[in-house]
Amino acid sequence: MTRRYEAVYIFDSTLEDAAIKEKIARFHALLQSPDQISVDHWGRRQLAYKIGPRDTGYYVIARFHATSSVLPEYERAMKLDDGVVRYLITLFEHEVGAPPMTEEEMARAARQEDDDDED
Amino acid sequence: MRRPQKSCPFCEGRVHYVDYKDDRTLGRFITDHGKILPSRLSGVCARHQRQLSTAIKRARYLAIIPYIRGHLA
Repeated sequence: MTRRYEAVYIFDSTLEDAAIKEKIARFHALLQSPDQISVDHWGRRQLAYKIGPRDTGYYVIARFHATSSVLPEYERAMKLDDGVVRYLITLFEHEVGAPPMTEEEMARAARQEDDDDED
Repeated sequence: MRRPQKSCPFCEGRVHYVDYKDDRTLGRFITDHGKILPSRLSGVCARHQRQLSTAIKRARYLAIIPYIRGHLA
């Protein structure tokens, strides 16, 4: 079963852009679903706190469909790569756990205040 | 006397999912020191508060928002 995931990579900001692109391509090759990957480059960004000696990081967000069996190998490749400062893989399925609130529920919750006044 | 209930800012904005990458929104729900603001103060409903606390913890890990602010080492 394929599920939708979202991955955030923080690369060492001293790396060249070409090197970062090459690393991303290498990671994504392990997912075996090259057509369904969308990649969003945030670029170099100030980190909220220092990670080791680093003050800035190169942020990349990728969304992809994959089966869970390919993830351990993919994660291992990132873990072993020195250029990746941090990464986070999350399920990009908002319906996991409780179903999302319907418009009706939202409206009811937003109206709550008015109802309380009437009590 | 019962406190008048505040309305949830996420419900009012019709937000279905609290995004951990949105530092400007998350920044509204943390204190000056970086702690998660209790729903009693912010008025966030239970469902969105659960999503919010997960989102803040993910954002902290990714160095999007700090774990501690205003702390001099």
